Amino acid sequence: MRQNKYAALCASLMLAGLCGCTSVSAPPAQHTVTMVAKSTQTEFWLSVFAGAEAAATEYNLQLTILGAETEEDYEAQNHLVEQAVEQGTEALVFSAIDYENNAAAVDAAARQGVKIVAIDSNVASDAVSTYIGTDNYAAGQMAAQAALDRVEGPLKVGIVNYDVSSANGQERERGAVEAFAASGRAEVVNIINTLASASYARIDTTHLLEEHPEINVLLAFNEPTCVGAAQAVRQMKLSEDVFLVGFDSNVETIDGLQDGSVDALIVQNPYAMGYLGVESAYKLLSGQDAGMEKKVDTSTRIVDQDNMFTIDSQKALFAFEQRTD
Amino acid sequence: MKLRAPRTGLRITTILVSMVVGVVAVILCCCIFLFLDRYRSAVVQNARTYSAQAVSQVSNTVANYLRDMDQAMELVEQSMSESAASRDELLTAFPEFRPEVVAVTSYSANGALLECWAPGHEPKEEIFCNLSFDLNTARAKGTSYMTAPHVETIFEGYYPWVVTMTAPLPEGGMASWVSLDLSFSSISSYINNVSIGQRGYCFLMDEQGSIVYHPQQQLLYSGLKAEDTAALAALEDGAYDDDTVIYCLTSVPGSSWRVVGVSYVDELVNRNVEEMIRLSFVLAAVLLAAALLTSWVLSSLLGRPLRGLASAMENFETDADHFTYRPVGGTREVQELSDSFGHMVLRIQRLMTTVREEEINLRKTELKALQAQINPHFLYNTLDSIAWMCERGRNADAVQMVHALARLFRISISKGHELIPIAKEIEHAESYLQIQKYRYKNQFTYTFDVDPDCLDYYCNKITLQPIIENAINHGLDLLVDEGRIDVRVQHEGDDILFCVQDNGVGMSQEQIDVILRPEARDRGGIGIKNVNDRLQIYFGKNYGLHITSEPDVGTCVEIRMPKIREGDYETK
Repeated sequence: MRQNKYAALCASLMLAGLCGCTSVSAPPAQHTVTMVAKSTQTEFWLSVFAGAEAAATEYNLQLTILGAETEEDYEAQNHLVEQAVEQGTEALVFSAIDYENNAAAVDAAARQGVKIVAIDSNVASDAVSTYIGTDNYAAGQMAAQAALDRVEGPLKVGIVNYDVSSANGQERERGAVEAFAASGRAEVVNIINTLASASYARIDTTHLLEEHPEINVLLAFNEPTCVGAAQAVRQMKLSEDVFLVGFDSNVETIDGLQDGSVDALIVQNPYAMGYLGVESAYKLLSGQDAGMEKKVDTSTRIVDQDNMFTIDSQKALFAFEQRTD
Repeated sequence: MKLRAPRTGLRITTILVSMVVGVVAVILCCCIFLFLDRYRSAVVQNARTYSAQAVSQVSNTVANYLRDMDQAMELVEQSMSESAASRDELLTAFPEFRPEVVAVTSYSANGALLECWAPGHEPKEEIFCNLSFDLNTARAKGTSYMTAPHVETIFEGYYPWVVTMTAPLPEGGMASWVSLDLSFSSISSYINNVSIGQRGYCFLMDEQGSIVYHPQQQLLYSGLKAEDTAALAALEDGAYDDDTVIYCLTSVPGSSWRVVGVSYVDELVNRNVEEMIRLSFVLAAVLLAAALLTSWVLSSLLGRPLRGLASAMENFETDADHFTYRPVGGTREVQELSDSFGHMVLRIQRLMTTVREEEINLRKTELKALQAQINPHFLYNTLDSIAWMCERGRNADAVQMVHALARLFRISISKGHELIPIAKEIEHAESYLQIQKYRYKNQFTYTFDVDPDCLDYYCNKITLQPIIENAINHGLDLLVDEGRIDVRVQHEGDDILFCVQDNGVGMSQEQIDVILRPEARDRGGIGIKNVNDRLQIYFGKNYGLHITSEPDVGTCVEIRMPKIREGDYETK
């Protein structure tokens, strides 16, 4: 009996030792995260990627960044999502081109156990753990308010929006239209939907301004449409007459701000979107998602001629160029 | 045999194992604690050194950058004193061998941009805001000065981050000030790439604690992250660690900038320490197991033979006579103990035999002494009877009585021998009965039925007489009818069986027990008890007396003894 007891004691000690050994030898696993963006070209998205990379480095994640060729190609996005799932990604940081048509691919990925974080543009899926981005309705209101604050008298508003199926653009439009309606002195003359590319936006804006010369306030709801609208305004020499409120910063719109063709910019915080998106993915993967909010607003600010060169605005508007050498 | 008191002491195995394991555990705990404490402080020190090295490297790089800038500025200032043609030539070529130069600009006394040399870029017609040159600051400073990093704003569609150095020019020339815009990207990308551990980073701040450059400045700007630069600005150069973060500060020589390195205790220290803790616990477990095993083996090497010895002693205690000792193996000490015990066992057994033999001899001597005693009343009465016979002239009877008495005494003494032939014993009994029959005036009759085969065997002397005496005194004395005593001798297997049967009053079982009790004595004569004792001393427990009796019917006393030839037991 006594001997048995000792034998049992020995065995349990050995076992404990073995357990210890195995736990020591297990290396810390590197999680894989894939970001599928709307585009890989615009400065907005480059800034998102910079934030994402910063978070990936901080949390030791293997980050893959993918993006569609054009900001309308939701099918390419669906394909990229499938591809990422096939390659065994554990989390997906996703920005939907199409609120409805991207949902199926995201749901399919979620069924494979992939954690979903939406940034910038949400998608119609219950699998999305958290959405990080601008409160687009409030941003739309902010754009309207910028015009209302700076332009006196009655406002004849033209709106240059991008793809009609994008949730972001529609939300911004709703916020702006409702803010204008509430002011009582503004009238939305026309709303056009153009492609998210500067040249198309320029052509469409030119048509809009030619058809409705009474327009004195122009709203453009993302970076390429804003660039296109600014080009149209400058070419038509309407910088003084048309108050253009754009979204996001870009070298051309900054130039525009200085020469007067752009009058105000609603600047989002793409770096924070990228950073927080990847950080949330990490939290989901490492089981720290307790109390994670369903929706996180990233800040937006209005930049105009007066504040564009304050040190804070400089840091917000101008990315530090990365040396490639 | 007394029952053993329950043992309260601990076994040697328990003591040894728990002591060794306990001592090892305590030593291990102390060692691990000390080691981990030392290890942690070493790792912290290491991390601090590591951070300090990284930070001083950054500081050197930044200092180099600033020195380069000073040199470039000197060159620019020098060129401004030369003629317009050679100045143009020099400053146009300048950015070719100094690619980090973004622009060289000169300003008039009232702050207007005069000339600009920039590779590949022309300044805008209308400059909305020039962050490179501020007339008020330039006037206030009076000497050459350097700005914080800012965006170059004099070009169209080109907004690089630069640091501007502005110097006043000697009076007399067109230009009053010259500015050199140097790209900040080499520093920013260098600082971005500095990593201390996995998550650690460096940033630049000025003496007041405002951030000059931070690799995550968008996070700072977004309010997602904050640096307590005010507190940091108050600190001297050196490394500071709290529970989570190690800060390392170094001033950049020749400027007001300071490099701050931020690294995380968690990844630089805790991870290592945790791994070491895990490792040392595994080691401790293995060592403890080894100690346990070793001490267990040791103690069983010592304890098992000792336990064998102990159980041998116990067996010896319970039954010393039939104990045969088997030596116990083991260590030398145990073997010595075992040998000693073996010797002791033999010695004790020998002593015990001796004592027992002496006891028996003593008893025999005692019994012999008793045998020699003759009941004096019997003698007086017999002599009275003989005298009475002589007086009455019954001489023949008297002669017979005297003969019987003589025979009785002769056989009683038998030259001191204990064992006598059965024939003699029968004769003895017959003599006694003869005498008693005269004395009791023929109140009883007696018969002898002896198997002739038995006559040659030997038996203890005075075996039958005490029994017959008892039968007469207690059985027949009170009897109204004529008494009867039958003596039978026969053999049964290897035994001889004597049987004395009377038809007296008989006895109850209690009376039988009383007779055989040790204190029973028959008035100084040899009692029935003595007969029994003698037989058992000589032949063992299987022999002796067996009394069966029935009140008013009679008593039968059976005497059993082995068949003995002459000389078999005489030596005893």
